[in-house]
Amino acid sequence: MNTKTKTTIVLLVILSIGSVAFGRIKLVALPERGATVIRLDNPQATLIEEERVLTLQKGLNKVDFSWKGVFIDADSIRLQALDHPDQVTLLSVSYPPNEAALVWDISSGSDYAETVRISYLLSNIDRLITYKAVADKAETFVDLKSYLVLRNFSGEDFDRARVLLDYGEAFEQGIDHEETKQMLFLKSPGVPVTKVWKFDAAVLPWDPEKLENQNVGIPVSYRIVNDDAAGLGQFALWGGKARLFQDDGHESTIFLGEDVTTLVPVGEKMELYIGDSRDIVVTQRKMTDAQINILRRNDNRQIVMYDTDEEITAKIENFKDSSAVLTMIQHIPGQWDMEECNMKYEKKDASTLEFEIQLPARTEAGPAVKELTMHYHRRHVRPGVQPPMPTPLRRR
Amino acid sequence: MKRLAFTLLIIFVMTGVGWAKVDLVTLPSRDTVQLTIYNSADMTLVRESRALTLKDGANALQFSWENTLIDPTSLEMLPKANADKIDIAELVYPPRVRNLGLWNIESGVSGKVPVEITYLTSGLSWRAFYMGTLTEDEETMRLKGYVVVTNNSGEDYENAQTRLIVGQVHILDQIAELARRQYPYGRPGEAPVMREILEEERVAGRRARVVMEKAMLAMPSEPKAIKKEGLSEYFLYTIEGTETIPNGWSKRLQSFDVEAVPVVNLYKYETERYGPSVVRFLSFKNDQEHELGQTPIPGGRLKVYRDVGDQGHLSYTGQSDFKYIPVDEDVELNLGTVADIVVEPKLMDFKTENYRFDSRRNISGWDEIRTFKVEAKNTRDIGVKVEIQRNFGTQYWDIRNSGDFGRFEKVDLDTVKYTLDLQPRSSQTFEYVIRTYHGVREEDWRP
Repeated sequence: MNTKTKTTIVLLVILSIGSVAFGRIKLVALPERGATVIRLDNPQATLIEEERVLTLQKGLNKVDFSWKGVFIDADSIRLQALDHPDQVTLLSVSYPPNEAALVWDISSGSDYAETVRISYLLSNIDRLITYKAVADKAETFVDLKSYLVLRNFSGEDFDRARVLLDYGEAFEQGIDHEETKQMLFLKSPGVPVTKVWKFDAAVLPWDPEKLENQNVGIPVSYRIVNDDAAGLGQFALWGGKARLFQDDGHESTIFLGEDVTTLVPVGEKMELYIGDSRDIVVTQRKMTDAQINILRRNDNRQIVMYDTDEEITAKIENFKDSSAVLTMIQHIPGQWDMEECNMKYEKKDASTLEFEIQLPARTEAGPAVKELTMHYHRRHVRPGVQPPMPTPLRRR
Repeated sequence: MKRLAFTLLIIFVMTGVGWAKVDLVTLPSRDTVQLTIYNSADMTLVRESRALTLKDGANALQFSWENTLIDPTSLEMLPKANADKIDIAELVYPPRVRNLGLWNIESGVSGKVPVEITYLTSGLSWRAFYMGTLTEDEETMRLKGYVVVTNNSGEDYENAQTRLIVGQVHILDQIAELARRQYPYGRPGEAPVMREILEEERVAGRRARVVMEKAMLAMPSEPKAIKKEGLSEYFLYTIEGTETIPNGWSKRLQSFDVEAVPVVNLYKYETERYGPSVVRFLSFKNDQEHELGQTPIPGGRLKVYRDVGDQGHLSYTGQSDFKYIPVDEDVELNLGTVADIVVEPKLMDFKTENYRFDSRRNISGWDEIRTFKVEAKNTRDIGVKVEIQRNFGTQYWDIRNSGDFGRFEKVDLDTVKYTLDLQPRSSQTFEYVIRTYHGVREEDWRP
């Protein structure tokens, strides 16, 4: 398993003999790769920095750098002299035909064993972040673990490199071509979670009775805040796949579900959709939808503007033996005013109403039932004209 | 006896440069194995405990899963003792080898260490199904619930504690697809390639037959109990004792048996939904009054029979697929169309009036008045309940009911419902007059 690099970066120094053209076979030295840094702070591209010692002679030196079979972006290659930056100057770069290679023309003020840093963008090497969270039986907190997964399919083997992320300590790690390594990189026990049930009237079906043999699941999510109080808040949590488990009270766990999180900056919330609750049932119906207050007609006596009279009821039943807080989202497009609503809501934007509905647990007598009724008028409705939506509708 | 061996071997790390597969210590067998099988997705959580022999210092552990359907990204190993002294530093999926992982472990102890290995696999599944037997008077039903566990995972599970999860779990990727990936986490810049399971891999499962029969003989004669408990949004069914389910086999277990669930014979008529026939439903409630209500009933298929005569003969009534039923919710099982209950709505009269005209003297509004006579007939020897729903296609309507119309309610803006209780061998007739408003006449409508 102690592999040689499958594809090598050959570095050869050609002494210039006047201005005569040179054959590309004169291998002078193959300097060993020294300190190597794999920088993974940009999810779009991985930056490699490697140090090599070039034996330069006074005058013009030609250095051949080739990368056959390695996914290097040729335009990203940079060369930096570290020991004598004033004396060692890169004059020009030439590219031989049909080859993954380049030749540096380097002018050296003296004979030097010069340490240079070569940096380039390497593709098909990256890192993923995954999360694993185990909730306690009461679902009040999770033990959160995060893994770093290094994947190298770049064509290049790295025996040993310093791996840098955008936060945290750099660490030493080697990784070969086609190798994947998974490392534990964050462990945060006892992170408080809030469980959220959400019914969005624009996403879920209204009347489950009209569906044959199908349950309408209410999406359930865990909410984690990336802050000090949660034992987090040190850095943004990278996006990745999260798998959630729960302690089952029998020294074992069950798998609750999985979701992908986007990057969560410090202070922001991570919301992980784990599954659907079929023990909370919402039956929403439109009881009235009529045109009223016909405001204008055109010469043909056609209606050009009117108001509406609309009534919506939503019955919420909790069949669970525990209480829950349902977030219910309703949408009323355009200009509107509420005539009557039996529950308090928060206006999230011009057309989105959010209700926080406390549902007690089911009792001996049956499920806990609440009923929302909304009676509202949409104003100045023009046939064929769609009111603007303030935000695009999203899942959840 | 495992057809597909999980090899777990320990390699001591040679310090310094690289390491060699020198010392194959032991192949520790599973001490216990627990399966938690989901049915909303093709997924099972496997938890097994094994005793590893670790050496003080760096240890490398190889785990391979050739010919199984394991998701390699889900593999996790946790020490169950000396957890603070054992650091599982990394899990490496080496290059150019498939279905193999290496754990690099720094151990501060030497000797036997119990560990727990968990992973997700596909290929194990379970489903619920039910058998109902109605009494002759159709007032009660004996309801038996079963679960059927099937193992097509490529791995034989012997003496496994088997648990089933009832619930709708959100997953992003199919475990079977993750299991077939060439690289566990895929590779950057390229979509993972799907591979079909080879037929020979499936057929190979038959070899386990002898083992299965032995295991069956050893089984006790009484049905095992299934313990049910709620966890988060799911229900966990734990089957008593352990089960041996070789690859390719299924096993049926009884989940519950209730002697007499009171049922209502409910018949429904709604032209737009069921066409011109009456549909039979069997209705009951998942609550204590109905001898149920301990836990939700997972969705499945119910086959309904009816006792005929006193010789224990049966008649097949029909079958119904039903959804998950929470505790305390009403169940309505659709048993299909019937001919012995008849609902016939007849249009007896139609007229239009209240015409309005626009400035060009075209018609701009009118009313339509329809008189319907609805006859509901019960030709059976038992009493039944009939629900008749009528849709009007517009929210601008007025209605007038007359006759024996039972219980009337508005369901939503254009639907109403009549509920009738019909005595054995009887019929009932009612009338309604529906006025619908069209065109500019809609403006004259008042709720």
